[in-house]
Amino acid sequence: MGNFTDILTFQLLNSGIRLATPIILAALGGALCNRAGVLNLALEGKMLLGAFLAIVVAFYVGNTYIGIVIAMMAGGLLGLLFAFLYHRYEVDLIILAIALNMLILELTVYFMRVLFGQVGSWSDPSIQRVPDIQIPVLKNIPVLGDILNGYNFIVYFSWFAAIALYFILFHTKFGRHVRAVGENKEAAETVGINSRRVQTFALVISGMLAAMGGAFLSVGHLKLFTRNMSNGRGWTAITAALFGFNHPIATFFTGLFFGFADAFAVRIQNVTDLPPNLAQLIPHFTTLVVLVLVALREKVGQMLARRRFQTQLQSPQTSPEGATSPASGTD
Amino acid sequence: MALALEMKGITKYFPSSDVLANNNVDFTVEAGEVHALVGENGAGKTTLMNILYGLVKPDSGEIFLDGNKVSIGHPDDAIRLGIGMVHQHFKLVPSFTVAQNIMLGIEPSTFGVLRQRDENEAVARLAEQYGLPVDPTAHVRDLPVGMQQRVEILKVLQREAKILILDEPTAVLTPQEVGELIRIVRNLSKLGYTIIFITHKLVEVMHVADRVSVMRGGRMMGTKKVSDTSIPELARMMVGREVILQLEKPEARPGEVVFEAKDVTVASASGVPAVLNLSLQVREGEILGVAGVSGNGQTELVEAIAGMRPLDGGKLYFLGKEINRLDVYQRRHLGMAHIPEDRIQVGLNLEANLDENLIVSRYKLPRFNRMGFLLRRAIRDFSASIIEKFSIAGARPGGSIATLSGGNMQKVVVGRELSGNPKFIIANQPTRGLDVGSIEFVHQTLLDARAEGAGILLVSVELDEIMSLSDRIVVLYRGQIQGELDAATATEEEIGILMAGGTLQETARSMKAAAS
Repeated sequence: MGNFTDILTFQLLNSGIRLATPIILAALGGALCNRAGVLNLALEGKMLLGAFLAIVVAFYVGNTYIGIVIAMMAGGLLGLLFAFLYHRYEVDLIILAIALNMLILELTVYFMRVLFGQVGSWSDPSIQRVPDIQIPVLKNIPVLGDILNGYNFIVYFSWFAAIALYFILFHTKFGRHVRAVGENKEAAETVGINSRRVQTFALVISGMLAAMGGAFLSVGHLKLFTRNMSNGRGWTAITAALFGFNHPIATFFTGLFFGFADAFAVRIQNVTDLPPNLAQLIPHFTTLVVLVLVALREKVGQMLARRRFQTQLQSPQTSPEGATSPASGTD
Repeated sequence: MALALEMKGITKYFPSSDVLANNNVDFTVEAGEVHALVGENGAGKTTLMNILYGLVKPDSGEIFLDGNKVSIGHPDDAIRLGIGMVHQHFKLVPSFTVAQNIMLGIEPSTFGVLRQRDENEAVARLAEQYGLPVDPTAHVRDLPVGMQQRVEILKVLQREAKILILDEPTAVLTPQEVGELIRIVRNLSKLGYTIIFITHKLVEVMHVADRVSVMRGGRMMGTKKVSDTSIPELARMMVGREVILQLEKPEARPGEVVFEAKDVTVASASGVPAVLNLSLQVREGEILGVAGVSGNGQTELVEAIAGMRPLDGGKLYFLGKEINRLDVYQRRHLGMAHIPEDRIQVGLNLEANLDENLIVSRYKLPRFNRMGFLLRRAIRDFSASIIEKFSIAGARPGGSIATLSGGNMQKVVVGRELSGNPKFIIANQPTRGLDVGSIEFVHQTLLDARAEGAGILLVSVELDEIMSLSDRIVVLYRGQIQGELDAATATEEEIGILMAGGTLQETARSMKAAAS
């Protein structure tokens, strides 16, 4: 019995980490865009496009990696298109994103039918799933090896991406320019920072990351494509970025949290009699709860600010931080 | 002295608004001087400086720096040529530190990786070099406005500017901070920097500048040595006619209390109390001035009194009746008038025509409507009478107001608010952004209303305005009244101390301690 629960836990962790990967990748892209001041609500569509292109190219070319690369390039190109329309014609990014999300959902279904004659889902035995990697030393370490070993490269890339993005944003010149553009575009532009370049970069990278997340769904995790395969993960990713303060490391962990919610929903269907429809609600319900938490966080912040303000007023001798002591200012 | 800058025959026409912003303007600045550039709003001084800084391309004209002809097509060119601009609205990133803001775009780095320690050290050195102490690691969002401005100045100096353009630098400062800025500017000039100081406050010109150039209606009216001119002469050059700088203010005859606020608390948008347990009274025939640095609760207080924002505590009384539950219309109906601080967004509807704007607060009166239908002729007549009474230039009944100048727009607001003989008037920044002529008009109108027995709550960040109009002065600091003064005896220093959050007793004590 003890063994059985152990396996269950590791399996749950493993599948949580796998299911978190597309969310993490898209969320990192979303966080980057938020930092650069361009709201990217098209993560869902870019992810779905990535999922579709990766498997279709893998099928025709016979190489999964080429499929993934093409998917990412398409995601990046879409990001470029967004940047162009936004900067050149001042198209509203929100409306553009909504249109794109709807368009891609219908286009993928259309091409699935035209190319393969399928409506709901499609697969082919010739398609190779991205192989899992066995890491030499790690795989022999108990527990740690069980948790961290044996995923494919996309999973490991998502971890690397979080750290890399953190380093870029907070320790490089370019990253600082990204944050400056996002917070005060005019301030950045008056010192000669090219805000268009920065925002274009963010949109392209986030498109590539979201598409890679989609590719993970179709050729990394499974090897099939289904209608609306991203199934709201792009939106969940946006929530994850918000919940993680658009900080890459924090966003990684919020993405992980949503992955576990997904895994839990799958697991609970296998081990209990809970109706599947209800179980599938779990990830969406968690997203809702998290959004409420994000809102509450603001409220609590305001409450604390109010309390601080009042205590400050009650003790006028201790001068509040930031403000210079008025008496010394006039000496 | 050598010329640092020479602008010759600068002309700029804006076709979209059909404005000739600069009309063959010549402007010369000597090396190492503080040169004030004054003019009313719309006189063209901002356009001229934007041309110098590469933000606007002139239609014709030439620019010479140290005698060499230059072409400046972009701010980058200006920076490279040693021209720096401290903008009126600071261009800072609030969550960044002082050092990060100063070094933005020119960060020290190795292969793109930031060297944050070098950055902080460089800024500390810079601050010391110019005697402008700052904490390089402090976050800009935590700094008072005067300090933020210092960061902006250091930012320009770090980029090795030799000519500094300061655009309306004193507009947001307390009197003490203004004094400090003037000291800084004089010191920079001593170090050999050339400074162009844009302002419309002539008192400051006399304190800070060596020479002054006056613009009016897109033309350069002339350049004077400050020692050879006077405030009345500059004012005449700015406006084109004699200006009454000292208003005729008859003795106040305060009567009954018309308005009272008792222990009022109002939350700001972020949930922090913007106004806390504040009490004040306004009597008939008096002007109560509310001074304070902007952002200390003025907006919230005014909106709460006018009925635009709910109270979080306390009570409001108007003519002895509690009005907490009354909405804006009901309060106005009882005789309250409100000149809001933002005439474009709040005071007027630019999409609607002049008539509609003028009757918007009283269209329900039987005078203007019968059974739900507006009486067009009555409205036209009313509109015409307001235009005449307040001499609103460029306006006609039924015409557009979007094309009016700022001063005339404000006359529309003031005309609407004062035409119903209100018993209580809230005037929030009634002259913000207006030229000298319009300011004079608004001030006189408010004094007339006072003479007719209205109680007026005047909220302003302009100290001159508060001091010349008010009968009593309260100073708002962090949502509370920091002190009350009699306008007849109050000094600018006293108000300044209260505006910065000090108390007069405390200051007197510390001054005594310093003396002993």
